[in-house]
Amino acid sequence: MHNVWLIARREYLERVRTRGFVITTIMIPVVMLGFLVGSIVLGAHENMDRRIVVVSQDLPLAEAVQSALQSAPRAATATPQANAGRFNLRAAARPIKFTVDVMEPAVGTRDLLDQQLDSNEIDGYLWIQPAPAPGAQPAFSYTPRSSSDRATSDAVTAALNKVLLRRQLARSGATAGQADALMQPAEIQPVRGSHHRDRASSMVSIGALFFLMYLVIMLYGMNVARSVIEEKTSRIFEVMLAAVRPEEMMAGKIIGVGAVGITQMGIWLAAIFLAAGSSSGINIGGETIHPSLTGPQVAYFLVFFLLGYLFYSAIAAALGAMTNSEQELQQMNIFLMLPLLACFVALGTVMMTPDSRLAQVLAFIPPFTPLLMYMRVSLGHPHAWETILSITMLAVCTAGLIWLTSRIYRVGVLMYGKRPSFSELMRWLKYS
Amino acid sequence: MPIVELQHVRKVYDTKVAVDDLSFSIEPGTMFGLLGPNGSGKTSSIRMMIGITLPDSGAVSLFGRPFHRSVLGRVGYLPEERGLYKKMNVLDQLIFLGSLHGLSGSEARQRAKDWCERLNIAEALKKKTEDLSKGMQQKIQFISTLLHEPDLIIMDEPFSGLDPVNAALLMDVLVEMRGRGKAILFSTHRMDQVEKMCDAIALIHNSHLILSGSMREIKARYPRNRVEIQFDGDDAFLRHPAVASVKRYPGRAEIVLRASDTLNDDSQSLLATAIRCAQITRFEITQPTLEEIFIEKVNESTPRGNITEIRPAAGNPEQPESAVAHA
Repeated sequence: MHNVWLIARREYLERVRTRGFVITTIMIPVVMLGFLVGSIVLGAHENMDRRIVVVSQDLPLAEAVQSALQSAPRAATATPQANAGRFNLRAAARPIKFTVDVMEPAVGTRDLLDQQLDSNEIDGYLWIQPAPAPGAQPAFSYTPRSSSDRATSDAVTAALNKVLLRRQLARSGATAGQADALMQPAEIQPVRGSHHRDRASSMVSIGALFFLMYLVIMLYGMNVARSVIEEKTSRIFEVMLAAVRPEEMMAGKIIGVGAVGITQMGIWLAAIFLAAGSSSGINIGGETIHPSLTGPQVAYFLVFFLLGYLFYSAIAAALGAMTNSEQELQQMNIFLMLPLLACFVALGTVMMTPDSRLAQVLAFIPPFTPLLMYMRVSLGHPHAWETILSITMLAVCTAGLIWLTSRIYRVGVLMYGKRPSFSELMRWLKYS
Repeated sequence: MPIVELQHVRKVYDTKVAVDDLSFSIEPGTMFGLLGPNGSGKTSSIRMMIGITLPDSGAVSLFGRPFHRSVLGRVGYLPEERGLYKKMNVLDQLIFLGSLHGLSGSEARQRAKDWCERLNIAEALKKKTEDLSKGMQQKIQFISTLLHEPDLIIMDEPFSGLDPVNAALLMDVLVEMRGRGKAILFSTHRMDQVEKMCDAIALIHNSHLILSGSMREIKARYPRNRVEIQFDGDDAFLRHPAVASVKRYPGRAEIVLRASDTLNDDSQSLLATAIRCAQITRFEITQPTLEEIFIEKVNESTPRGNITEIRPAAGNPEQPESAVAHA
């Protein structure tokens, strides 16, 4: 055990001291934060002024639409003060400021408006065809300059609905005051529940942890493979093997590299919690989210992360032992990436319906268990036996894989020259 | 009590027999040369001695007991394929390798510094290994082998790639180690080094031991039938009836005398003839060199009798001008 500790410590210190470690530790959060801040800044400076034209013979209707659009900005939720101290992820929450012109249709109006659309003078026009019979609805058509500008057309539709509803109410004898009262939108006060019921919040935290687990397992699994190859190419392993067992070398390497991953992850998590703690929460899509997790969620995360890392790094160590160069490793590395990518593809389904049959089955497949079962226990309600069985299966598979890998490793590190064929690999497993 | 004892050791890799029925032993305070052409099984034998691989049959004993990993702290191994962590600081590297052999961190540090000073590379301690020259890296590796004061030192081609000054420096260290009762096994192709330094040898060829024993014993088995002569003048004396074959170099000849019971008289008679023909500056009667024994033995054990892998001793670069054979 002393040797394992020495090897793990060397592996850890040599990695943590490199410039590469410092750079990735700092750069990844900085780049992510940069995207976040960038999108907010860009959103804040986006031009939200819209100029549209309403064409109608029914001028009172057109003017009602005009005033509905130009009046009180359609604020999504809050004033800037209320948003202070939060990260606002949705730039579109900023209100659109409308300038609306009203005109009566005449010959050539449509051509004129189309020209103005082309020359960017207006952002769209609303054409109102009078109702064919009294009491029937007029026909509306909206021509936007850019069909991707959904926010504007949504605003126009909303204004129209409002105006028509008000008209309808007036026709049925309601006074302006009554109409206003009737049209008052219902307001839902978001009440912050106790943490474990805060589904949206835990969704985000758990999603972030899922991504972190994926990232660390993939990056550091590859690091294990690379470090095995480095020892093969530098021939240091022969010196090492004169003092330690191959199994000790492998164990020390996996533990040391894994500890680096945990350190890096710890730093990132601490940074996230610090950032979140200093503000009142993270605002995503108008909801304020507190990155908070319950004790069991954290415990499950650790269990699944550790087992997952061991599982994948054992595969990586075997790949490293079988290959002789980085290039050869690149070709083999699909065996490591494929199951991880599959987890990522299945993420959507499992996140939305964590207790579905598909999620159940997928989470039982050992290579997927770490990521997907973690998702299920965090977001869904798997039976206790499912959790226990999946963890047991994963643990047994991991132990078996480590045993198998250590045999490949034992022979593989001493053989260099060419990559073994499958039948040779089988023979490696027999002797050693 | 021998430090290393191999008894009928056999190792088969897949379909290839790497070592077969190999037996020899190494006594404390001796320098032991393990010789053989490339691919003859030297490295496989060494690996089995220190448990990197295990023999299929036969027994390996270290320090008088059947092999057990617990004695590895008393062994220092310098493999033929040198290896150090390239990105690692030299001092850290030496401390790490020392710790793996059971030294405490502070002890390893002190010894690493002492050794580096002794081998004139103290300035390397703070550098990264990859920034050092090949020769310096080799010295670092050499130090890492000796840091834990092993009782058995195993070195595979320890001087390859070193300049003569540094090779002599390391050789002195090994000689000193032998003086302190350590057993040293080294494998090499350099017969001149083996001849100069080794007390005993084992010669392996095609996985089999074909010659072993103390240097003196082995040499004693061969008659003193080699004559080396340096001269100036007529070389007619080379046609003397006792001469079996000659290698002729400028101003010099290496003669093999015909096998007979009267070798001493033959050589004296040759000298008398030579003096009449030419000015003699050197006349030496010797046993065959280890290199000659090596080649002879290897040829004997190879059915077709042609061995091409053997490197000539590096100290003997000139090629014979002509080879004269007398029937």
